[in-house]
Amino acid sequence: MSVQIENNPLKFARKILSDLRASEDMGLLKCVQCGMCTSTCPGAKNSDYNPRGMVEKVLEGEESIISDEEIWNCFYCYTCHSVCPVGNNPCEINQILRGIAIDKGIANDKVGSFAGYGDSFLTIGIGAMPKSFFMELNEDIEGWLDFKSKLEEIREELGLGSITISNESIEEINTLLKKVGFNKRIEELKK
Amino acid sequence: MKSIPDKNILLFKSCLVSTEYPGIESSTKYIFDKVGVEYVIDHDQSCCTGLGHYSDVFNQTSTTLIATRNFHLAKKNNAKNITVMCATCYAINKKSVKLLNNNDQFREKINAVFEDSSMEEMKYEKESFNPSDNIFHVVEVLFNKKDEINKYVNMDFSNFRIATHHACHYCKVHYEDTIGGFRNPRILDELVESLGFNTIDWYNTKRNTCGAGFRQRFVNKPISMKVTGDKLLELNKENVDILIHMCPNCQMQFDRYQPYLSKELGVDFNVFHLNITQLIALAIGGDPYKTVGIQTHTVSIEPLIRRILDIEV
Repeated sequence: MSVQIENNPLKFARKILSDLRASEDMGLLKCVQCGMCTSTCPGAKNSDYNPRGMVEKVLEGEESIISDEEIWNCFYCYTCHSVCPVGNNPCEINQILRGIAIDKGIANDKVGSFAGYGDSFLTIGIGAMPKSFFMELNEDIEGWLDFKSKLEEIREELGLGSITISNESIEEINTLLKKVGFNKRIEELKK
Repeated sequence: MKSIPDKNILLFKSCLVSTEYPGIESSTKYIFDKVGVEYVIDHDQSCCTGLGHYSDVFNQTSTTLIATRNFHLAKKNNAKNITVMCATCYAINKKSVKLLNNNDQFREKINAVFEDSSMEEMKYEKESFNPSDNIFHVVEVLFNKKDEINKYVNMDFSNFRIATHHACHYCKVHYEDTIGGFRNPRILDELVESLGFNTIDWYNTKRNTCGAGFRQRFVNKPISMKVTGDKLLELNKENVDILIHMCPNCQMQFDRYQPYLSKELGVDFNVFHLNITQLIALAIGGDPYKTVGIQTHTVSIEPLIRRILDIEV
């Protein structure tokens, strides 16, 4: 029997460190597995998500972590980061792992319902909550849609200007985002 | 402590302030005008992408591209001190400035997009913004003016138990810049104290996140509501009357869902939710409807104001 040793176990960790979402000084390679992240994490408290375990997998080069359902329970609150003794950032690592899953096309069922943020950004310059969530919000929050119908009126009473931006600015945003493949990404997510 | 500006400020529009609690914007303007903070609002500024970014819809390139366009507008208005009303705008803009300054290859990629789009004027010049000295939260600008604000206080909140909720994306993302501490965040407590009122300061769940968790509120509601409910239960234990906010997303989570959670958990929650700018605007004479915008709240603020007026009478 032979023992197989991965030649370059830190390859995956380095890939994560070089991602744009990784802060320059992220202490991933300094992680001592103390578990402060998990002990303060709202996701870990209420599900099987375990940021310490996630970081361990990353350091061991286990790329399969990107298809672990539990990574979708992170709240993006950065509490882990704010208590980490070595400046690691499990929250950002999570964002990067989800990003890899999205790019691989294996996370559309997770993110597809939020694609509306992109559509509304391209239409009015604001990433407004997707309309598909409105009915549930209105069921949970008494009078919410009623308030929404009066929003313009209230804003006027408060002396505030228009919510949306000029057509010229919307065109600018559309031109720019198209150049970095944003529209394509949104359409992919909906598949 | 870093120096905080009172002029050349771009008051950065926020999607959730605009559409859920516009009273935060009008309260901010009211206070700024009263204490002489000079600012501009640019209606061509787009939202920061924050909700979409943290729902994993925008990648970092799209988000920073949009941020760079907004930085250009700030510069054009001679208002390089970008001052935000939302904690997520704060985290997003700081992150983009850091990336643009420190990652030459990425900055060139972003600038190439502007060049390709015949928008050369929007290209980002390295170090033209500084993440610590050009990106602020409104609470920081107010912190710098707290003695001035104190002179105008004419409404008394000292009979109420006040607690603070410090937004994660202000205290925990770029915590090297956070004013008032991040282990026990106190900037909101200090602002309330400067008005002449006390807060309960530390409580067991003070550092806890609001529970919105971006995607979690919408597709993982049980755990989202559990986190929010835990904090509300703790506030009940502490007999808190008012929770002070600094982020419209947190405020939405607590104010909009408090009646829902009361029903779900069978517990009476009677906490009033106010953004710090709304509390200050009320305390210095702002009209509850025309300035503070209490008509957009789910938990009515009217009983709170009536209680204050009764005490005063």
